[in-house]
Amino acid sequence: MATPTRKAAIVGGNRIPFARSNTAYAQASNQDMLTATLDGLVARFGLQGESVGEVVAGAVLKHARDFNLTRESVLGSQLSPTTPAYDIQQACGTGLEAAILVANKIALGQIEAGIAGGVDTTSDAPLAVGDDLRRTLISLNNAKTVADRLKALARIRPGQLVPEIPRNAEPRTGLAMGDHAAITAKEWQIGREEQDELAVLSHQNMAAAYDRGFFDDLVTPYLGLTRDNNLRPDSSVEKLATLKPVFGTGDPDATMTAANSTPLTDGASAVLLASDEWAEAKGLPVLAHLVDAQTAAVDYVHGGEGLLMAPVYAVPVMLARNGLTLQDFDFYEIHEAFASTVLATMKAWEDPAYCKGKLGLDAPLGSIDRSKLNVNGSSLAAGHPFAATGGRIVAQLAKQLHEAGPGKRGLISICAAGGQGVVAILES
Amino acid sequence: MATTTLDAAPNLGALYAKATVTAWGRGGALPDDRVARTGVEVDRAHLAEYARVCRLPFGDVLPATYPHMLAFPLQMVLMSDRAFPLALPGLVHVRNRIEQLAPVPVAARLDLEVWAERFATHRSGATVDLCASVSTGGAEVWRSRSTYLARGASAPAGAEAADVDVHVGALDRAVATWRVPDDAGRRYAKVSGDVNPIHLSGLTAKAFGFKRAIAHGMWVKARALGAVANRLPEAFAYDVQFKKPLFLPSTVTLSTAQVDGGWDLAVRNAKSGSDHLLGTIRPQ
Repeated sequence: MATPTRKAAIVGGNRIPFARSNTAYAQASNQDMLTATLDGLVARFGLQGESVGEVVAGAVLKHARDFNLTRESVLGSQLSPTTPAYDIQQACGTGLEAAILVANKIALGQIEAGIAGGVDTTSDAPLAVGDDLRRTLISLNNAKTVADRLKALARIRPGQLVPEIPRNAEPRTGLAMGDHAAITAKEWQIGREEQDELAVLSHQNMAAAYDRGFFDDLVTPYLGLTRDNNLRPDSSVEKLATLKPVFGTGDPDATMTAANSTPLTDGASAVLLASDEWAEAKGLPVLAHLVDAQTAAVDYVHGGEGLLMAPVYAVPVMLARNGLTLQDFDFYEIHEAFASTVLATMKAWEDPAYCKGKLGLDAPLGSIDRSKLNVNGSSLAAGHPFAATGGRIVAQLAKQLHEAGPGKRGLISICAAGGQGVVAILES
Repeated sequence: MATTTLDAAPNLGALYAKATVTAWGRGGALPDDRVARTGVEVDRAHLAEYARVCRLPFGDVLPATYPHMLAFPLQMVLMSDRAFPLALPGLVHVRNRIEQLAPVPVAARLDLEVWAERFATHRSGATVDLCASVSTGGAEVWRSRSTYLARGASAPAGAEAADVDVHVGALDRAVATWRVPDDAGRRYAKVSGDVNPIHLSGLTAKAFGFKRAIAHGMWVKARALGAVANRLPEAFAYDVQFKKPLFLPSTVTLSTAQVDGGWDLAVRNAKSGSDHLLGTIRPQ
């Protein structure tokens, strides 16, 4: 047994409203958004000119020039320039993984406080020159003589001048993430209607949370936006039923539409974590503690497992380590990459054969009370700026647990590209 | 005093043309006319482009140098008018003082007013100040004073002496090196509308007596602001003197020192060490 450590406290969070791609934040860079988000957090918790132990954040779609994105954002923020920072990237798990890393350093006593965050833009996305052109330009740069330069230039073909636009596709399978999710949806027989219902509920829950002021101290307006502009409070199953499927369309019974899948989104989030002592000394609240976390990965290429099923594997490992069952939670935050992903995840935990065969469990984890799921809305409503989703969920769940009173427990489950999953337990 | 209120930003290219063809035969006293615009809304896409060109942060508060983008075209209306005593071609921007009285939200509706004052004598000619005041909701939030030198011109008898010097402490440590490319003038001209030929190309600059194109002083000032933009008080005065022209392309250095709750700044040629800009930022 490892030496017992202290649990990191979640003090609070801040994010900018999320914006659908090429809308309100079309002109903003990752650094602009992350800096604004850090400054909002600094303002909320009175950290102007102060240093914290570490700022950890990342972006999934990142320009080469942004190699030190988080540190550069810190240097442009109201935090002290003596605040260390580093970048991480674990696809859609980036934000939660950042929070886990900060929490672990706090737990080990290596730092007293830290900020975890994430940002993504699909509007100001990096373009790459094709590999052939890139090699030609490198040899052009290395050429010593005019003749060598001309030789290098002569290798350029018009077709090479078309830039490579980043696609939301798996490099090893060539399939879009949505097409992967469609395979899983079919395998688990996830129906169109239940997906649309989950999407509508997400919009309704988030709209209600905004209306009751829940997000007042979690969101700071940015570039004229005060709420996520993907949010459709008047969304209905009837309206959603009229949409055509966009993923897995080779199948006549395709179920996944633009409404029950997350749109490309721009945004940023940040969470302030600390030791209890640090928070108390500053007179800051402790909303919840990060109790434990787990990652898992699946062989979605050759192993026959679904791309987004890794959290299904991560959760039982974490539950066993903490002596908990799936039903021992007051709230569940299952990231809505796609409505079908959430539904397949829950169905897998209910399936005895799958739990025994794939997860090695004697009994299935069982079902969860749907009234405790994504109670303030999730990614289908807010949108999903990849690396920013984790921070949104951690801050949102911590606040929900705090409101519910002491001793409440919440589960976070986030699926990520590359067949990975990041999960965590928070407790108020 | 007459105030002309415009309902849109004037076209700067046309004003330059007008000022050039009417350059000769100017003189007399400074008119006390004012030019104004009311309820001006900031175009966020333009602000984003300005921030990119000047390497300033892009967000919900205007960089302190941005209102100049709105005020300068109105000042051009005054300067290009036949009644303005100095010829626009050949006017050199020698000093610029900006006072941010409060942070200006991008969403604010702005009322602008500009005028000219302080026709002063200078050892090599005469100077005149083009002033601007920006208000929102009736409260002044920003003002500026741009001092231009007209070599060989003479101010009216009894005019006060020009005040063009900004004093900085020892700034012996360069903190940053900027490689300023030869299209820096064209890029800033595009975003600012300041298409003065001395900034656009070597050829057009030669026509006005410069060996190469020179960077806009206000671009240098804005870019220097970017280096300290997150470490400023809410209300401050940013005063700079433009010294030697910054020929394009150039490599220059930025030196900074924290002084009295603000900053001293210098932008210098990396090779010769000669000063391009000396500036102070002080809380107000």
